[in-house]
Amino acid sequence: MNTNAKPTFQCSGIHIHIGEKEVVKGVDLTVLPGEIHAIMGPNGSGKSTLANGLMGHPAYAVEGTVMLAGEDVSAMPPDEKARKGMFLAFQYPVAVPGVTVASFLRAAVSAVRGVDVPVREFRKELLARMEDLEMDPAFAGRYLNDGFSGGEKKRVEILQLLMLKPRFALLDETDSGLDIDALKVVAKGINAAASNDTGLVLVTHYQRLLNYVHPDVVHVFMEGRIVRAGGPELALELEERGYDWLEPAAAAGGV
Amino acid sequence: MSAEPIPNLPLEHVSELSSAAGEGRALLALRNQAREAVSPLVLPARANHLWRYTNPARFLPESDPTALTPIDVGPTWRLDEPLSVAALLAGGATRLVEMDAAARKSGVVVENLHRISVGDLLGTIVPASHGFLEAINMAAWRGGVLVRVPAGVSLEHPIRLRLVAGDLSLPRVLVVGGEGSSFEVIEGHVGGDRGTGKVIGVSEILVGKGANVRYGLVQRWESGVVGHLTARARVLTGARFQMSIASFGGTTFKADVGAFLAGEGAEVETYGVAMGGDSQHFDHHTEHIHEYGKTHSNLDFKVALTGSARSAYTGMIRIAPGAAGAEAYQENRNLLLSENARAESIPELEILTDDVRCSHGATVSPLDPEQLFYLESRGLPRLQAMRVIVYGFLDQTLARLPQTTRERIAALVAARLHTD
Repeated sequence: MNTNAKPTFQCSGIHIHIGEKEVVKGVDLTVLPGEIHAIMGPNGSGKSTLANGLMGHPAYAVEGTVMLAGEDVSAMPPDEKARKGMFLAFQYPVAVPGVTVASFLRAAVSAVRGVDVPVREFRKELLARMEDLEMDPAFAGRYLNDGFSGGEKKRVEILQLLMLKPRFALLDETDSGLDIDALKVVAKGINAAASNDTGLVLVTHYQRLLNYVHPDVVHVFMEGRIVRAGGPELALELEERGYDWLEPAAAAGGV
Repeated sequence: MSAEPIPNLPLEHVSELSSAAGEGRALLALRNQAREAVSPLVLPARANHLWRYTNPARFLPESDPTALTPIDVGPTWRLDEPLSVAALLAGGATRLVEMDAAARKSGVVVENLHRISVGDLLGTIVPASHGFLEAINMAAWRGGVLVRVPAGVSLEHPIRLRLVAGDLSLPRVLVVGGEGSSFEVIEGHVGGDRGTGKVIGVSEILVGKGANVRYGLVQRWESGVVGHLTARARVLTGARFQMSIASFGGTTFKADVGAFLAGEGAEVETYGVAMGGDSQHFDHHTEHIHEYGKTHSNLDFKVALTGSARSAYTGMIRIAPGAAGAEAYQENRNLLLSENARAESIPELEILTDDVRCSHGATVSPLDPEQLFYLESRGLPRLQAMRVIVYGFLDQTLARLPQTTRERIAALVAARLHTD
């Protein structure tokens, strides 16, 4: 982490509506290159909506400003945000039958890097990253997320993170549904991305992942707002005490 | 409701057509019988399940199809892959372009269908009684090919037939696979570059005992062509037949394809993809007719539509009385890429015996916005994301075909995706 660095991601005044309902009620966040932030909160607090809305999910109406490396990307469609270096690891990655992991990733890598990556070079890089994540090379030929187990899907999300090398990545519940071995592998991928200067926000409601990934900042997210921010110790406190003790803070409208 | 005008289809020159083509008496007799079947011409009622979605009158020739027009010397065809046989049917003429040494040596026969001495098999799988268009074809067909692969012969490379649509084309194909033979035939329909053209084509395939035949029907006419293709296979005991159909072109296209599982242990698979755009109208009918027990059939048919294209798919599975132990599966999926595209999917099951396994499934759905968002979030612009999804949707079905055929059809899919 470089404290003199300019933010890789900054959002301010983020409000998100789903239909009539306001789900995210004013979020500001600044992430430096290589920083890891954790956003922790109970189920239904709006964490996933925040992550999907920031990326540009078509079902969400998002207000506020999103900056990537100093550039305002608020009005950009998701594909343009991705090409500017933003990434979302999905909580529930959808299957795209008939499209192999390899052909999909090659299209994505080519789009994001803006050059057609030669097949051989791409393949070599893909197999190396798959090895890092302890994935069977046969995975490259399988249809994207089609019939994958929960853990396999999450590994493939991390594989994409490592291949696309974004400036900034939102990881939505990437730790859920993983056994301990898979969790370690996923954590390894996240740490590798951070050491590559990717700024990361991990959205989670468990402390579990944070045993292997050490966040610089922990945010507590309740009822559509960040109600408290602190260091790694805050995650441990949440683990011990749950979220109830923070409810007055949530009711008061955040920090 | 006003009465449909009574169609008139003169077939006055059957004898001249037959003798000009140098046909023997057996073929002339078949033509005359077929002519009788459509004199007078009665079009099928639109309530008939086969014609619910497409007006049969659209396929009628505007003038007497038996009238002799000069034979057009066909276009050239540059081959770009190793083939066992290449034959070109264009302008009413049949030309053998290529037969490799292996095919020649093993006794493969490719013959001008007009010159076959006896009508032994012709019309036995798709008889004139099949329907009015099949009868018109039988009375008036011009330009035909017989391909016969002897018993026990396996061909490494495909047999490729190219049928070029002219102003009015009535081609006829007969493929005979001997006992235990193994080969692939691809019947490619092209042409119509004048922006018009009518095609009424019929293909018959006999798959001998224990044979393994792959048959592909690839239709990529230019816009403006109105065409109807009928293809049927008779699959004998213990034989395997894999049919693929890929439909891209034409303005109105109706296909009636299928197989008779005509012996115990026969296996049939049908894989189809159709891509329609603009105001294209597709109507595909498939039939898997299980005449015997312990037969197995599987069908997977995919349709993707843009613009205001229309598609109807009707899929018949018939399991005859006594065909115990038959298994039949059918799946038809339709992907609508625009608000104005429409697709219908109607399974038709006639299960006339117990002790069968049978299932069918059909879906008509728009692009999944979550799939689009997922791909877009990885940097793919919307149009590319759509193409990737559609390509995958269709390629999943194509994956079951022989590798080179899959690649060629996939290339057509990709090319089509880049023009829509």
